[in-house]
Amino acid sequence: MSKKVFHAMFNDEEKLMHAAEKLVHDGLRVKDVFSPFPIHGLDPIIGVKRTRLAIASFMYASGGTALALLGMWYFMIHDWPMNIGGKPSFSMIQNLPAFVPVTFEFSVLCGAHGMAITYFLRNGTLPGMPASNPDPRTTDNMFVMEITTDQNHDFSADAIEGMLKEMDLVELSIKDYE
Amino acid sequence: MQREAAIREPLILGNKSYKDITDDVVGPIEGAAPRTWKILVTLTGLVAFYGVGCILYLLGTGIGVWGLNKTVGWAWDITNFVWWVGIGHAGTLISAVLLLFRQKWRMAINRSAEAMTIFAVIMAAIFPGIHMGRIWVGYWVFPLPNQFGSLWVNFNSPLLWDVFAISTYFSVSLVFWYIGLVPDFATIRDRMVKPLPKKIYGILSFGWSGRAKNWTRFEEVSLVLAGIATPLVFSVHSIVSMDFATSVIPGWHTTIFPPYFVSGAVFSGFAMVQTLLLIMRKTMKLESYIHIKHIEYMNIVIIVTGSIVGVAYLTELFISWYSGVEYESYAFINRFSGPYSWAYWIMMTCNVITPQLYWFKKLRRSLTVTFILSIVVNIGMWFERYVIIVTSLHRDYNPSSWGEFHATTIDIGIFIGTLGIFFTLFLLFARFFPVLALNELKSILKSSGENYKKIDNHHH
Amino acid sequence: MMCQHCNHAPCETVCPVLATTHSNEGLNQMTYNRCIGTRYCANNCPYKVRRFNWFNYMGYDKFKNFNPSQDSLSRMVLNPDVTVRARGVMEKCSMCVQRIQTGKLDAKKAGTPVADGAVVSACSEACPTHAITFGDLNDNKSNVRGISQNNRAYHALEEVGVQPNIYYMAKVRNTEDQEA
Ligand code: SF4
Repeated sequence: MSKKVFHAMFNDEEKLMHAAEKLVHDGLRVKDVFSPFPIHGLDPIIGVKRTRLAIASFMYASGGTALALLGMWYFMIHDWPMNIGGKPSFSMIQNLPAFVPVTFEFSVLCGAHGMAITYFLRNGTLPGMPASNPDPRTTDNMFVMEITTDQNHDFSADAIEGMLKEMDLVELSIKDYE
Repeated sequence: MQREAAIREPLILGNKSYKDITDDVVGPIEGAAPRTWKILVTLTGLVAFYGVGCILYLLGTGIGVWGLNKTVGWAWDITNFVWWVGIGHAGTLISAVLLLFRQKWRMAINRSAEAMTIFAVIMAAIFPGIHMGRIWVGYWVFPLPNQFGSLWVNFNSPLLWDVFAISTYFSVSLVFWYIGLVPDFATIRDRMVKPLPKKIYGILSFGWSGRAKNWTRFEEVSLVLAGIATPLVFSVHSIVSMDFATSVIPGWHTTIFPPYFVSGAVFSGFAMVQTLLLIMRKTMKLESYIHIKHIEYMNIVIIVTGSIVGVAYLTELFISWYSGVEYESYAFINRFSGPYSWAYWIMMTCNVITPQLYWFKKLRRSLTVTFILSIVVNIGMWFERYVIIVTSLHRDYNPSSWGEFHATTIDIGIFIGTLGIFFTLFLLFARFFPVLALNELKSILKSSGENYKKIDNHHH
Repeated sequence: MMCQHCNHAPCETVCPVLATTHSNEGLNQMTYNRCIGTRYCANNCPYKVRRFNWFNYMGYDKFKNFNPSQDSLSRMVLNPDVTVRARGVMEKCSMCVQRIQTGKLDAKKAGTPVADGAVVSACSEACPTHAITFGDLNDNKSNVRGISQNNRAYHALEEVGVQPNIYYMAKVRNTEDQEA
């Protein structure tokens, strides 16, 4: 049996959400949804897990804090301590207040850029990558739900098609894929 | 779907659909460049060119082409630097702080305000660069191993904090801005028919497809970046103010500086946003997205921050007398009655007195008044920095080393030049980039669009 | 005014690249070849003693009439022990660090401590009325130490708290006359 992928197109995010709710209730698995903007409340319905990017960002930022403090200790206290305007430049603890701004900035730098890079890598969105949305209208005003026979072995292709046709959709495209 | 109280004014006027939003924003990018745009870009381009010429002359000849002397070692250079950084702050405030406070009105203006931030910070970064006597060894401010036996840098110096603050601020704002732009570039890519622009927008859009998981991550990243950018934006101008606050010069050595600089920055930044947006909404016909309500909200921010600045001026004045330090009191007496008192009074008028007009609802909802005041505020804020830097330096402790600063044509040329570069960049942005955040506007259409609000009211 | 060689020098803390630091002899040292020319130190000096090289005085024709040392012959007027500062760097009184260094090396070769008066700064040497005394403040028996403990000695702008190493002597007045 050839594998099939269904793309059901809706013209309103609420219609798509209702359809998804019904389909999932009937036991179908929705593979993905393509939309021009984030649809709030959709994730739990189609089973998209919460992202851990915020935790990643916190870890990058903590790494930045540690690196900044270590660097400043090495540069200013350990490797070449100097008498700068009579400031206590020979002790980390006493010189710490002067290191606060740079520590903060460097933590933010690492947290923000670490997260941004992770975000782009995890999304697979990098300069020059090909787009994978099934229809160009999904970045404008249309909402597409993707369902595959692969993920729904309990249903035949015809059954899925029948279920989708009952929904309030604009277009349905069915493609074979390997 | 989230609904909003009916008494709130709608944020998107007219009978708009998702498609209309795309058309309104992407349409101008697809069409040919309008005549006014071409004329404007030529004009600003010429000014930019003149500025670049002045900069090259400065770099070739030496800092002496500016009006500086042994007493006044900084003047227009650092004034311009602080002014531009301050202007940049509004963009981050709009996109980050207002996001945290869930202010939906930010969505119509955040894209262009952030673009303004980025261009303003680039302009700001020019000045610490060219103000160095030996710009060719400017990379020594980074802790790099070197032939001096690996002499490192001085982490006690506020100027070094600045290096870290400005570069972090610039790069984080850029990333924040770009992450928001990616889905909108995808929209343009999918609409473009001409092959070359389609290809370019394709590269710029990073292959964005708008999957459910991508959007979840997108929202999370926006929220966390906003959370990080908020303390960042406050820290940046605080650190800039520490250049002065940590010194020993009367008039500079003031603990009030960090909060005073931050609110001054927001004040001037919002004024610059007003100047740019009032022109943009008119020429690009964005009146349904950026309307009087948005302008009014921004004017409220202006009057709040302007009043904080006013209080800070008066506090400074009082404290200089109350401290009982002769040098300190003289610094302030000299400000309002010395050779640069004209600058002080321009500053007072433009920053403290005129913005108070916004207490009248009629005036803060008037486009003409807003446009004029937005320019007045920025003139005032430029003079604030000039007053702080030049009048504090020119007469400090020893009367034997008092001096005066007089600007040269190169001083003026470089400043005007950065205005030219800034407006050129902004015009290019308005021509080729989505000037409104498409994906965000679409997500609030149902809760804040005029047509949807009407339907809602019917139901109740 | 000359550089006061402050012990708590405000000019040192603000330099981003450590071009001006303190020597363990208490000198405020200016490292010309590390300077990037931000002029922050000059702004933050309460005495305004720092001078900046605004132009390339050695090569710029505009200064031909003022600068005698623009060709290779007249360049001989320059002190061979002192570096000529490039365009875009800060400079100031170095307390004749080249003389101090020679004095220390001579003493080292002779195997003796540096004697008081063996090193004199150029200004002190040139002053016909001996208004300037130079020496080691840490040496209990040195001439300057004695002068610094005189009750006429004071620091300029002492209230700023930068703890200069230079002392000035108050004018000698006839106190009885003043009281009268
Ligand atoms: S007098 Fe000025 S230049 Fe000399 S050490 Fe003191 S602050 Fe620095």
